[in-house]
Amino acid sequence: MKPVLETIKLEMIYRVGKVDVPALRGVDLQVGAGEYAAIMGPSGCGKSTFLHIVGGMLQPTKGQVMIDGEDLTHMTDSQRTDLRRRKIGFVFQRFNLFPTLSAEGNLKLAERIHHKSNGGDSERRRDLLRLLKLEDKIHHKPLEMSGGEQQRVALARAVINRPAILLADEPTGNLDSENSQIVLDMLRDLNKEMGQTIVMITHNPEAALRADRIIEMRDGHVVGSRQNP
Amino acid sequence: MNSLVVANVKQRPLRTALSMAGVALGVILVVMVAGLVRGVSRDAAERQMNVDSELRVYDDDVNIASGANPLQMPRRYADAIKNGIQPTPEFPDIVARQPVAGVKEVTAVGLWVQTSVGGIGFETVEGIDWESLTKTTGIRIIEGRHVNDSRQGEPKFEAIVDRYYTEVNKGTDGNPVRIGSTITALNREFTVVGVYEPSVMSRIKLPLYTMQELTGGADIADNCSFLMVKCERPEMADEVREKIMEYYPGLKVIRTDEIPALYSQGLISLDIFLNVVIAVSVIISTMIILLAMYTTIIERTREIGILKGLGASKPFIVWAIEKEATFISAMGVLVGFAISVAGKYFIEASTRLKIDLEARWLLIGAAIGLVCGLAGALYPAIRAANLDPVEAISYE
Repeated sequence: MKPVLETIKLEMIYRVGKVDVPALRGVDLQVGAGEYAAIMGPSGCGKSTFLHIVGGMLQPTKGQVMIDGEDLTHMTDSQRTDLRRRKIGFVFQRFNLFPTLSAEGNLKLAERIHHKSNGGDSERRRDLLRLLKLEDKIHHKPLEMSGGEQQRVALARAVINRPAILLADEPTGNLDSENSQIVLDMLRDLNKEMGQTIVMITHNPEAALRADRIIEMRDGHVVGSRQNP
Repeated sequence: MNSLVVANVKQRPLRTALSMAGVALGVILVVMVAGLVRGVSRDAAERQMNVDSELRVYDDDVNIASGANPLQMPRRYADAIKNGIQPTPEFPDIVARQPVAGVKEVTAVGLWVQTSVGGIGFETVEGIDWESLTKTTGIRIIEGRHVNDSRQGEPKFEAIVDRYYTEVNKGTDGNPVRIGSTITALNREFTVVGVYEPSVMSRIKLPLYTMQELTGGADIADNCSFLMVKCERPEMADEVREKIMEYYPGLKVIRTDEIPALYSQGLISLDIFLNVVIAVSVIISTMIILLAMYTTIIERTREIGILKGLGASKPFIVWAIEKEATFISAMGVLVGFAISVAGKYFIEASTRLKIDLEARWLLIGAAIGLVCGLAGALYPAIRAANLDPVEAISYE
């Protein structure tokens, strides 16, 4: 089966002043449909850069990136944005919800961006909120929710449009251990019950153990990959 | 999306209010200034038309529409048109003329423009000959008496006013104007001896000779600003006009019902002023929205990054910001309208100025508010749409 995510000799070099700083030095990676992969590595190993390139927010210096069969390497910014809208869901470390909108409002906005009518798919919204145990938070704004609840809303927003792949950038980085467990459980449920393909970057080994596969990065390379039992 | 716009607007109420006020200011400038120009002109034109006489005679080089006609026309033209004229030892070169057929009565009027009481706006004062004026215009005294010809040794500093004047003005003693009150005209105090109606032309009328004395300097010329001609029958007006211009080529004769159109022509110079006001309004409204929205996108850089992270296209982001600016501008336009309406009633109640809030100028004001809002937000919107998503999401 065709992988949902495939990178071929992916390189990224940042120009800082007059100095070239290589962040990725040729990353070859595949993630299959329905797979839950965690990318681990120390700070500065290139995890976030990798995620941003795969998410279409950064143009790589060299190499190829395929998302669900579409090569975004040579796409324009508008084309990458379009691909991101159609096929990629993002969860950030800092939740990044719109503070002026309720939980439901944040989901509706994501649907609106995806070109749905203002009504959106209310049934899917309800299913997601139920799965993520947020039924009673639907009308609450972010400031009225805990960190864990906010991150769950962010999860719902990321998958409301059925993306081909969900990219999670340190989703538990700003959460306490209890809420971290809840969010990791939710990610697991999304993967198992809805078949959502997930790539999560983390520096937390316990979080990584929740995934099907752990990919290790160091100094811009993939240095290892192992299946979790 | 609409909830995002409303929520964003409510998040910064003071900035939103200031932005709306800026747009409202532009709208008020346009609507009120245009309304004032139109209202004052219409009011003056209506009172000019509210007479029985069919024709108005001026010196050929007078600008009728300016409303300020100095006393430069010899009053003897009134006698000449009505009774004919013959050479005299004093004026031996005069060409003999018959009375102009069809003329029933002619009256000479002197016109003077002065600042209104209170210093706001201006008003006109007329020098008249009561006997001929009442036959030409149909005005009558409803209280007190008329002014007399002050050449005959009658008191000079007497005046009559219309009823509106007594209702809205105070005399020099601070009390409402009544018979016996003193008012200021031509920098002198005049005693009000009568109230007339209907309200025609200037609200204050005093003896023509007195006006000639006060404005003529050392040489008191028997001059006026214009003549009013009452025809024997209204349908003779054109015939009488042609005859007057034939007999006296140095004169200009217009029909009374042409006066409003002439006032409109005189507004050409005011149209230039209005264009300047519109330009200033455009600049004010555009700059205020530009600054407000620029500040907004700086504050909301991370939110814009989130939108980009969610896959929002550049047009989507531009439209989101333009929508917010349009909402603020629309509110500003409504506030501007409300203040303009309230201002109209307040100004008309406390001064003698008239303000016409015409639909055309309301639309122009609204268009300026909305278009400037859109234009002012465009640069910030485009800038926001071109932000780097990674940097924007990481922005603190």
